[in-house]
Amino acid sequence: MRELARRLLAYEAVAGKTSELGEAATLRVYEKLRQSLGEFVGVAGFQSLAFRALTQAKSEAPSLWAVRLAADGSLQGLEEFKPQPGEFEPQLGSGKDQASEGGAALIARLLGLLLIFLGEALTLSLLRDAWPDIVLDDRGSIHGRKA
Amino acid sequence: MSIQEKVKINKLPTGVPGLDEIVGGGLPEFSFNIIAGAPGSGKTTLAHQFVFANATPERPALYFTVLGESAIKMLRYQQQYTFFDPAKLPGSIRFINLSQVVLEKDLGAVLEQITKEVEKSNPAVVVVDSFRTMVRKPQSDMDLQSFIQRLALFLASWQATTFLIGEYAEDELRDNPIFTVADGLFWLRQTAERNSIVRKLQIIKLRGQDSVPGLHTFRITDAGVQAFSRTFGLTGHVKNAPSHRRLSFGITELDKMLGGGVREGDSVLIAGSSGTGKSVMATQFIAEGIRKGEPGIVAVFEERPQAYAERATSLGLDLETPQKDGKLTILYLRPLDLSVDETMHSILDAVKKIGAKRLVIDSLAGFEMALSPGFRADFRESLYRMIFALTGIGVTILSTVEVDESFTEFPFSTYSISFLTDDIIRLRYVSIDGQLRKIMVVIKMRGGNHAKDIREYEITSKGVVILGKRLTNYQGLISGIPVRTDRPDSTEETLQDTGIKRKL
Repeated sequence: MRELARRLLAYEAVAGKTSELGEAATLRVYEKLRQSLGEFVGVAGFQSLAFRALTQAKSEAPSLWAVRLAADGSLQGLEEFKPQPGEFEPQLGSGKDQASEGGAALIARLLGLLLIFLGEALTLSLLRDAWPDIVLDDRGSIHGRKA
Repeated sequence: MSIQEKVKINKLPTGVPGLDEIVGGGLPEFSFNIIAGAPGSGKTTLAHQFVFANATPERPALYFTVLGESAIKMLRYQQQYTFFDPAKLPGSIRFINLSQVVLEKDLGAVLEQITKEVEKSNPAVVVVDSFRTMVRKPQSDMDLQSFIQRLALFLASWQATTFLIGEYAEDELRDNPIFTVADGLFWLRQTAERNSIVRKLQIIKLRGQDSVPGLHTFRITDAGVQAFSRTFGLTGHVKNAPSHRRLSFGITELDKMLGGGVREGDSVLIAGSSGTGKSVMATQFIAEGIRKGEPGIVAVFEERPQAYAERATSLGLDLETPQKDGKLTILYLRPLDLSVDETMHSILDAVKKIGAKRLVIDSLAGFEMALSPGFRADFRESLYRMIFALTGIGVTILSTVEVDESFTEFPFSTYSISFLTDDIIRLRYVSIDGQLRKIMVVIKMRGGNHAKDIREYEITSKGVVILGKRLTNYQGLISGIPVRTDRPDSTEETLQDTGIKRKL
């Protein structure tokens, strides 16, 4: 799932004319998912999923500690990708790397929840609709076994 | 206006097996329909089947969800059905959640949102699930009526076929002005009868279409809703002309007693108490049909198909090979909550599949037990419909029925269904010379002459074998306790089919 998240982030980084998989790309991927999912699960439905995904992602990417959700499900505080106060930054890699990993963790968790609730086929259908130019054609795509 | 100028109403497939026939061939295009019923009655599943059957990328379906079941859970569960094709989402089927608008705004805003989405997508199908939850807020019924009126007008103009789904209790059906707006009103019911659940649907109204009236049973399986029409899917089927062909039983002497065999298309009843050989005769009847190139169906309720076939083998009748060759189907029907319509559906499917000419129902008592308690009350009426439908398409039916052995009476059936049958063969035990022997007699044969003889028979390794001539030296045979008369005994006669000699 993390691999698929990275693919989406890389795609949006190019689309957004940025070479980094950080904040901007994360926001673009997240917003596409929010629009796509929000239409059928509703604002509250998406917000619930996103909250769960963010909680899970924070446990594996501490750089997301400042990120929170607005009532409409949009992300806030993403620009504050940074180590928690007191953490020694060099040990955690560069800020860009952390932003990239934090974004990938969040998107991966969100996709993971979709996979759990909707299954592979429906999740792929939704992703294909949001990213028609990305080839998502088999189990390998969604499980990250195929780049 | 000439008849050529009348508008033609296209009929859309409902996607629900059996429902097209009930609604008169399909759902009228551009109709505005309400699916009503209690929670869990199958409303959403039915709507989904219609949506998946009709949505295309060019003319998609819009499925508006409101309050109630969360959309993500709904999709999680609905995709378990085989009709659910994930590839159709979201290109051909779009789910749009209106909860926020409903919670924060009024019905006018909901209508505005629906209008916006419809204008954007130009859908062929629109579903609002559940429209009734929209009025949980303090809005009057008039608000809802006005909303539905405007929605109906708008969607009709946009050439959309629409379903509104609503939770309604039985007593809310009467005098509800909302229902007057709808072109079609589908009512789904689910009731518990003892330990069985019975589902029924009724087309309370359907404008412009000749739907089949009455309550139709339906079942929800992994394929979704499946409806069983009271007309058994035979609406418009022309009844076969009466046949004069005789079908052999595979028991030479019995064929003679029947004037040459059972008339094709008849309904035959074999009545007798336990152990008299009803099932054996039924097996011989079906095996003889197969031998003559007439495929058959055996509907069994009291034993498994394998056991049924093995018992036939012990009589020297091979039912395994014809099953493999597609000449015989043994249906095991015993879920205990069947409806006759559902059973009929299984039988008719099998009849059509192999072109069956003979059908054995073994037995009526088992059949009745397989039905849910509510349907047992209608057993006679259901049997009438079933027999009429099957014989109408030329199938010859042989049913077995167990009757209590009485030494004071001679009942034909405990079900009082003799009037449903063309021919009745009665088997019974008699006490003769310190032995419990068996006799058979043809009681009735509609449309044909038959022997009046009372014949003794035995069940041998070759099946039922009729012995000798008619029993002439006893009186009161049908009482079960005959009295020997002064008339001399018959001479030793050869058993007709076995070559065994026995003094009668």
